[in-house]
Amino acid sequence: MSNTFIALAVPALLLLSAIFILLFGLSSYYTKNRAYYITLATLFIAFFISINGIGVLHSAEILPQIFNSMIVYDTFSATFISLFLLGGFLTLAIAKSFVDKTNFFTHESFVLFLLSLFGMVILTMANELLTAFISLEIASMSVYILVGLNRDSLKASEAFFKYLLLGSFAASFYLLGMMLIFAQTKSTNLDVIAEYILNTDLNSQLLVVAGSMLIMITIMFKIAAVPFGAWVLDVYEGASLPITAYMAGVFKIAIFAFALRVFLKDYITFQAIYDPLIIGGALITMAVGSLLAVIQQSVKKMLAASSVVHSGYLLIAFASTGEATSSAASAIIFYLFAYFISAIGAFGVLSYISKGSDNLINYDDLNGLAKERPIIAASLTVFMLSLAGFPSTIGFIGKFYIFTSAIEAGYTFLAFFGALSAFISIYYYFKVIVHLYFKESGHLEVDYGYKVSLAFIVISALIVLWGGVGTSLLLDIPGINALNALSKYSLESLGL
Amino acid sequence: MSTLSLMIFLPIITAFALFVTKIHINIVKTLYMIVTGIVMYLAFSLYVAFDANASMQFIEYHPWIAEYGISYHIGVDGVSLGIVMMNAIIMPLVAIALYKQRDKRGYWINLLFVQGGIMGAVLSLDLMLFYLFWEVMLLPIFFMIGLFGYGNKHFITMKFNIYTILGSLMMLIGILYVAVQYKGQFGVYSFDLYDLKNVKLGARESFFAFSGFMLAFAIKIPIFPFHTWLSETYRSAPTGAVIVMSALMAKLGAYAIWRFLFTLFPETSHALAPYFIGIGLFGLIYFGISAMSQSHLKKMFALSSASHLSLVVVGFFIYDVYGLVGSSYLIVAHAVSSTALFLMAGMLFERTKTYHIDSLGGIAAVAPKFALFFAFFALSIVGVPLTAGFVAEVLIVLGAFEYDIYVGFISATTILLAMLFMFKMISQVLYGKVSESAKNFQDLRLHELIALIPLALLILAMGIFPNYFIKKIEPTAKSFAAGKEAVYHE
Repeated sequence: MSNTFIALAVPALLLLSAIFILLFGLSSYYTKNRAYYITLATLFIAFFISINGIGVLHSAEILPQIFNSMIVYDTFSATFISLFLLGGFLTLAIAKSFVDKTNFFTHESFVLFLLSLFGMVILTMANELLTAFISLEIASMSVYILVGLNRDSLKASEAFFKYLLLGSFAASFYLLGMMLIFAQTKSTNLDVIAEYILNTDLNSQLLVVAGSMLIMITIMFKIAAVPFGAWVLDVYEGASLPITAYMAGVFKIAIFAFALRVFLKDYITFQAIYDPLIIGGALITMAVGSLLAVIQQSVKKMLAASSVVHSGYLLIAFASTGEATSSAASAIIFYLFAYFISAIGAFGVLSYISKGSDNLINYDDLNGLAKERPIIAASLTVFMLSLAGFPSTIGFIGKFYIFTSAIEAGYTFLAFFGALSAFISIYYYFKVIVHLYFKESGHLEVDYGYKVSLAFIVISALIVLWGGVGTSLLLDIPGINALNALSKYSLESLGL
Repeated sequence: MSTLSLMIFLPIITAFALFVTKIHINIVKTLYMIVTGIVMYLAFSLYVAFDANASMQFIEYHPWIAEYGISYHIGVDGVSLGIVMMNAIIMPLVAIALYKQRDKRGYWINLLFVQGGIMGAVLSLDLMLFYLFWEVMLLPIFFMIGLFGYGNKHFITMKFNIYTILGSLMMLIGILYVAVQYKGQFGVYSFDLYDLKNVKLGARESFFAFSGFMLAFAIKIPIFPFHTWLSETYRSAPTGAVIVMSALMAKLGAYAIWRFLFTLFPETSHALAPYFIGIGLFGLIYFGISAMSQSHLKKMFALSSASHLSLVVVGFFIYDVYGLVGSSYLIVAHAVSSTALFLMAGMLFERTKTYHIDSLGGIAAVAPKFALFFAFFALSIVGVPLTAGFVAEVLIVLGAFEYDIYVGFISATTILLAMLFMFKMISQVLYGKVSESAKNFQDLRLHELIALIPLALLILAMGIFPNYFIKKIEPTAKSFAAGKEAVYHE
């Protein structure tokens, strides 16, 4: 399969499938269930098309005469596209019971789902600020609506409005920043901007610096870094569980992928100006996120707050990209893998056991689950350990890379604070395990059904474990080394 | 797979397999016995095959995370051999003693898991591998206390867990720091102990990295002032977990000081040695006095165990052949004795439903066999001649005198402190008027005897024929001390 074909086929497939469901969704033949399976099949096929592009080094502008080098398909984007498609597939596959038991998951929600994925796919391929903005907005708009899917719930509506208003407000910073950059560099193409920055004296490109900073605000907002992440708790709380999983596990990673591209291509040159800001951001993000996570009473909100802490860890690595570019950047990519699979799994378990209710899943709702459902409890435990960075899980390897890159860049104190917030996170993640295993349950045994969803949860848990200890010495399945090579390749393809 | 790998992974894999399958508890127990039996057999064959003239042997090396030079690098030497043997011997004996009492699958699965974890941590020669096992072995204990413990167990297991992980994370930063410095000096990453010891660190950096490691070890052992988790955790932990913690995990902390700190930061360790000897001696006295005032049997044993571990730390930090051999010997001797004592405390509780020394008494009149063994093990802990502890303590005291006459004097006299509280405890628990709770005290049953007799024999053998055991440690100790001698005792 040629790379051009992959780059065109994946978004086209998503888009066509979305349009198809949109057109035929109202006919009585295409019920919600059929739309669900069409979406799953689309994601499955697209995933298998897109994984042909990973693992080998390549980078090319797609149809430059048509798209005017707006779109670049390289190993970097190929890796992340595969990740999104896998994430979308896993989210939906695990959420089967949720989709069945609720009435607000209609066929349009799958259209939005596919459209948001389409936006993210383009976003990672975008090599130009305007394209990136448009695709970001396509994805964001779809996610806004997905958040407010449950019209009957007051919380969902509140979350929807909050996210929509704040999100649009934050997006305007991006536009302003892009305008400032364009005013000075006369281009929105990342390569051209990078060249301009390199060849111009730092003092005479104030507009670029200011513009980049404004763009950074939007990115910080989207990844819920403190102080721009005030929306995150309410929105994650209001959204239904599969959507929360999707936002935390997939959408956030798309933003990080784009941020990484912009950072490595353009910002890296004036890293010195940004580093203090990012370091400060990382520190308060970790501190505030930890504080928020500790005081939560519901597991869903705890996971939402802890996703802020994980953004903080990633910011550590972003701060380190200046001094230890290659190891820090590949640490970010690996950490995204790790967080992706753990978050999808953790939220997936919650959505599986909530069975479509509006319930926030308090800690007490987990009591005694280990006795009734040892497999679910064990999987959730694995995800918690991974998020906490406990060794033998993929989350530990991710933290290991991030802390190593921070120390390599000379920011030992950042690694130290990272370790401290990992230490705090032990409390709230292990609290889940305490409730799962040690507390007696008051409720009767429940039949959750949906063995297929369960199977995907277990597969995710196994991936988490294999990603933490896996080696080709034992089995010929890609382990830590392969994932690491994957992140290295995608990094190299950016051509730095 | 080599013997060592088999000893690490056989229990872990069995534990996983038992977890995912739902089989009857009796089969679980039988499998537990078979697996720990195999591990014990492997350990004995290892002991026989162990070359008494060489230091590190049975080395196994596979690259694991190639990019960062992390490898699966294991091997055994004289000092780690002792802990390996203890781990292999204690686990099946614990099972025999508790065979009838514990009917929960989780109990046995966790014990198997922790055996593999400890084995891995002892044998690792790669810092990341060590860290992996070091953390992983915590989980089974966390679960065992939370599931099968007593009292306010959820709070206590969480506290223990968080406390320990704080140390581990600081150690992680230390490990990473040293590895990054290695990369800066040699151009490639490596987490191998033998590579990392070549790193040159400035005094300040070395001190901070040392502190990170030391915090983890100090909490695990524990040495003063990081002991605040100790007595509550031991009190509420079930017998199996207490034995693992006191006989194996605490020892592992002391062993890790020697293995990692002395290898990675020789200058800093040596410079700080007087402080740690001071802390150790203080701990010896402090824990001894605290133990004296305890009325709860398990808490008392916990503190007495901490007191002896302080002595082990002193022995390591005095930096010579006597101290090292003595400490390694004490690790083994104390592991055996404390296993037996905690087992007997568990039996005592099972029969009388109390751990309070005040409400016990006169057991010797009702259950002579129990009293005999109890007294024997209690005396072996304090190091009465003919027991293993005696040999070890004599060696450490000899080393201490060599190091400094005052240190020698203090350590020699403070060891007597242990006598005080142990004799007091023995007289209260075993003799005197037959108490209410001891009236229907059943003497030792056959399976309990089967578990205790080997431990007693081992203690006697180690006390009477120390040479046979020490000759395995000696080459390691000599090669270690020779290196130090050249540097420090010009």
